Amino acid sequence: MAKKKDAEKATQNDENSKQEKSEAVEEEEPNFSDPEDYVDNISDEDLLGDIVKTRPQETDGVESVIVVDGIPQISAERFEKLRNVVSKLFSKAGEIVNECYPKTPEGNTKGYCFIEYANAAYAAEAVTLLNNHKLDRQHTFTVNLFTDFKKYEEIPDQWEPPAPQPYTDMGNLHYYLLEPDSSDQYTTVVNRGNTVQIWLNTVPEPLKIVEKERWTETYVKWSPLGTYFTTIHQAGVALWGGPDFARKMRFAHPGVQFIDFSPSEKYLVTYSPNFESQGEPKNLIIWDIRTGQEKRSFFLNCQMMWPFIRWSHDDKYFARSDEDILSVYETPSFGLLNKKSFKIPGIRDFSWSPTDNILAYWMAEDKDVPARVTLIEIPSRNEIRSKNLFNVADCRMHWQKSGDYLCVKVDRYSKIRKEKNDAKYNVTFLGMYYNFEIFHMQEKQIPVDSVEVKESIHAFAWEPIGSKFAIIHGDQPNICVSFYGVKTGQTPALLKKLEKKCCNHLFWSPAGQYIVLADLRSSSGVLEFVDTNDFNVMAQQEHFQASDVEWDPTGRYVVTVCSFWKAKVDTGYSVWSFQGKILRRFNSGAFCQLLWRPRPPPLLSLKEQEKVKKNLKKYSAQFESKDRMRSSRASKELVEKRRTLMNEFNAYREKCHETWVEQKPRRLQLRNNVDTDEIESDAKNEDEEVIEFFVKEEITIID
Amino acid sequence: MKPLMLQGHERAITQIKYNREGDLLFSSAKDNAPNVWFSLNGERLGSFMGHQGVVWCLDVNWETTRLLTGAGDNSMRLWDVSNGKEIGKFNTTSSVRTCAFSYSANTAVMSTDKQMKSICEIYIIDVRNADASLESQDPIMRIPVDGPKVTSMLWGPLDETVISGHENGKITMWDLKMGKEVNSVHEHSSSINDLQFNKDGTYFVSASKDCTAKLFDTETLECLKTYKTERPVNSASLSPIMDHVVVGGGQEAMDVTTTSTRVGKFDARFFHLVFEEEFGRVKGHFGPINSLSFHPDGKSYASGGEDGFTRVHTFDPSYFEYQFDY
Repeated sequence: MAKKKDAEKATQNDENSKQEKSEAVEEEEPNFSDPEDYVDNISDEDLLGDIVKTRPQETDGVESVIVVDGIPQISAERFEKLRNVVSKLFSKAGEIVNECYPKTPEGNTKGYCFIEYANAAYAAEAVTLLNNHKLDRQHTFTVNLFTDFKKYEEIPDQWEPPAPQPYTDMGNLHYYLLEPDSSDQYTTVVNRGNTVQIWLNTVPEPLKIVEKERWTETYVKWSPLGTYFTTIHQAGVALWGGPDFARKMRFAHPGVQFIDFSPSEKYLVTYSPNFESQGEPKNLIIWDIRTGQEKRSFFLNCQMMWPFIRWSHDDKYFARSDEDILSVYETPSFGLLNKKSFKIPGIRDFSWSPTDNILAYWMAEDKDVPARVTLIEIPSRNEIRSKNLFNVADCRMHWQKSGDYLCVKVDRYSKIRKEKNDAKYNVTFLGMYYNFEIFHMQEKQIPVDSVEVKESIHAFAWEPIGSKFAIIHGDQPNICVSFYGVKTGQTPALLKKLEKKCCNHLFWSPAGQYIVLADLRSSSGVLEFVDTNDFNVMAQQEHFQASDVEWDPTGRYVVTVCSFWKAKVDTGYSVWSFQGKILRRFNSGAFCQLLWRPRPPPLLSLKEQEKVKKNLKKYSAQFESKDRMRSSRASKELVEKRRTLMNEFNAYREKCHETWVEQKPRRLQLRNNVDTDEIESDAKNEDEEVIEFFVKEEITIID
Repeated sequence: MKPLMLQGHERAITQIKYNREGDLLFSSAKDNAPNVWFSLNGERLGSFMGHQGVVWCLDVNWETTRLLTGAGDNSMRLWDVSNGKEIGKFNTTSSVRTCAFSYSANTAVMSTDKQMKSICEIYIIDVRNADASLESQDPIMRIPVDGPKVTSMLWGPLDETVISGHENGKITMWDLKMGKEVNSVHEHSSSINDLQFNKDGTYFVSASKDCTAKLFDTETLECLKTYKTERPVNSASLSPIMDHVVVGGGQEAMDVTTTSTRVGKFDARFFHLVFEEEFGRVKGHFGPINSLSFHPDGKSYASGGEDGFTRVHTFDPSYFEYQFDY
């Protein structure tokens, strides 16, 4: 600022002197000059902004100069030597045109020098090449561009705190949990995916909250705790939330195909198979949901199933696996944990415990080394349990939702046959059988039990709350469903075997106890609702061509969907009570998808939840009376509606009847004066006829 | 009650009709012999032999003396009901798709298909003194139908008008004095397969391939009600004594072989006439229902299906007791 003022003063002085001169020469000339007290309030920037911008700077023409600090301070006699060393070093970066070594009056160097290169590019190169160059133990060069000094000079002495980012109020994202009757929301994608609707599952009829055309380009998804609603577009992903479902965040990732939320909704992972060629290739991006910032990206060539990266339950860690490698990263730094990956030869799959920072993985069998399931603790990397397994074809890990148990389903073979076939080994497993290895996570040293099943397994599912698991096993037509109970210190016990069932999928209620056995792959769509307290089949129902079964997050309702993605006709959904009573059917052409809005885990402690359960009678009476009132109101409305319809129609019919009566003579004329208005009206012309009824048939064989 | 199964046709039923008193039931099928049955016990009374192609339509006059049939052998024939003999025949250049006696049964109407070079035409024929010479007679009137062909037809009350349903879902009323279109509505989006009056002829129900049946006022052609299903509707009939509509159809015949009967939805569905609410279904056919008819006394109904069967259902007492709250 100081400089600018000087410059202004200078120009003003010039003008003043000129004026004086002109006044002296010709006095008749009209006076164009400003009066004495005039203050020029237009700055040069305003008048000649474009020219002032190109005003020469002190540093012009010195872009090719660098400042080297930290050179030895030496006396004049050793100067030549130093110069040679420095010149040699710095000529690596380019042609040097000039050097300057400031000296003290005694002729000693001052410990710094200036070097001028033939052009600015060489200077820049010298900075990157030789900055922090160690000449010897005591001397390290600090190399800077001469122009940089100006840049650093201008840093204000006073530190100014960065301007705070304007806080955008996201609104109450959890408003839906405040719904007084705690009705759940669900979203439906209809009309070939062109229309997306969000409904509130109120009694007796659901209420439509939002409907939008072309809200998504492929599919939709709720975040795991239900806070955000996600739509997928060609350009990226959008998150919506709040009572009006306004857009809360946008994540640009062209061609995004898969998305995944971290369990606590802090981060979003997007994957797109096509990536931009410029810059570092990346196909997987991790975003911070609150700020919308890209946190880290990867370029993965994964053979594994989506999700390629898997999160620990508290969003603190995430892991991914490559061939023989397992990498665990930590947040919020997004760096590799302890800066190195695990070397695990033959790792095939891994998964996190849903409640603890424990990672389970398994390694395939390799000649003499048995297959192995290992549990490690993160971040300590302590191996807390491992189990060797033989004759393993495949493993599947199933965590119980509350993290108390881990079940590893092991596909094993009794014999292996290798056939030489075009220089390629064709491996056939003969005689498959199955093991369920149950890890008791809550007990000391994690004991492992195993259950063996000889028949083929179609499905496995843990009870989300509780200690039961169900499996579907057997071969057609003898499909059985077995329920096992897990207890501490005991091998899992078979609780019940339901035989000759028609099902291939298991759906536990999120609250446990109830389970739906469904036949989804064939077109029949048989559904069985089972109470696993007494293993009573409460209801046997059918939703023809059903493709999906979805429990609501509270375990009160079950929805079966017949999706357009599977069947072309009769698409729609049916709502059932958890006991299997049909509540509502909804048919719509080209119905695609139904998703319940998830709920975060309850805030009540276990004790409080128990208390609610104990006093259920008190609460249920309240809710029942409320439901009754609502349904009676609805039926009253319906009756009202019908009555008006009936009255309208009767009025219309009355009018018609009048004209009809008027026309009677003309009708009689057309039919030779025979009254045919009623069947009985022509009674006098009736004939009697005898009709025989076939009562029974007797066959007598005459031989 | 167990329905009566009328077995006598070799191929799909195309149309069934009761006579005015309801003691006889006439049926036509894609084989070439229409049948007549006792509606009370399901015994076959006789057949009408002579057609050489698919019989698409039939109608019986109010005295039950004559039967009118239209067939794919490019002819419409008139039969004596009492002995099953052919009285006369009227030749056309293409299939006869619809036919009907007027209220007085002095005249008949028929319509032909758009085929090869022939266009769709509506013929009005004098059948008062019909005999073998019918063949050489000229029709009273020929109305060429420009555009989508006629797929179903009704005589208006008092023999003054004809109401036709078209392939594109249009319903048109023709004045026979002028031979001109006087009114038309386009409420359906696809072919109208059937039109049936109520007892008085003051309103009628249409059945359309667009999966709906609709109720229209006869005079104004105003659409009064809509009955929605998930499958093409081939036929709909109005109860003469209750405020009920029976609607039948199902997955189209050409798709049936590839789907199971459950996908087909071949049930007869009962709707309330005014509230448009479905309240009952009757299973039975294993192909789509092609034709439905209430008995004139309203105590039974008959359905003819693509499976070749005609089923006569007598209602249980509970049917008459069931009431809607209003």
